[in-house]
Amino acid sequence: MSARVEHVEHKPALAHLFWWFMFAQGGVLAAILIPVHILVQGILGPLGIVPVVDRHYDTWISILGNPIVKLYLLVLISLPFFHFAHRLRYLLVDLGVPAAKTVVAQVIFYGVAVLVTLLTIYVLLTTAPISLG
Amino acid sequence: MSAEAGASRATKTYRQKMSAGWWTQKRHYFLYMVREFTALPLALWLLWLLYEIYRAGRGPSHFYAPTSTAFVTFSVICLAFALYHSFTFLSLAGVILHFKVLDKPVPSRLIVMSQFGLWLVATIVIGAVLIGFGR
Repeated sequence: MSARVEHVEHKPALAHLFWWFMFAQGGVLAAILIPVHILVQGILGPLGIVPVVDRHYDTWISILGNPIVKLYLLVLISLPFFHFAHRLRYLLVDLGVPAAKTVVAQVIFYGVAVLVTLLTIYVLLTTAPISLG
Repeated sequence: MSAEAGASRATKTYRQKMSAGWWTQKRHYFLYMVREFTALPLALWLLWLLYEIYRAGRGPSHFYAPTSTAFVTFSVICLAFALYHSFTFLSLAGVILHFKVLDKPVPSRLIVMSQFGLWLVATIVIGAVLIGFGR
């Protein structure tokens, strides 16, 4: 028997903490913000029940120029994807795909969330010039 | 002899074999999978919203407001999954969050109610902006 002294270093799992925080925040934001957008922009507007800002070009482009709206839309669209990435990865694990637990799968799933974030920033910055009018 | 042979063999981890359809066996498991699946329709709807923003940037001549039955149906399905995510996720907050105010723990029912209250306020404010700035 070798008397080996194992020195275990306890480091805070910062990466784990970060992704878990993003999962939780994305989940709360999705829960609180998404239903009203689907109801108003996806159902009530197209059915003509209420006037909605995205039904006409002039109203839609003018609200998209507002910097607060741009910031809000960035949060609304990008943060939930960090939640979705985690959920869909575990959906695959639960469906019998153990490969979804690997580092490669993590890079792919969270990478897509990062890509969506960058794409959203690009679209928001190029769609309408920032104006407070 | 046989014991020695057994000891030299590498330890094997016991893995319980599960069929891919294990979650269809019980209602509780099924609802758990539905909860995980909600991410997919919600992601698709947000990507559509991003596309809607992108379309506005291509100028008034390319712009049209979606009215198709297919789009409304897609939104109705997404809304059902969105509501399921909201109810399950906001209810969970009562289990996860633990606060103490004046040395007394805040009852989980109060935390859940505050989460649902926040949802209601956000819905009214965002709905008012979306409808109020329309014509």
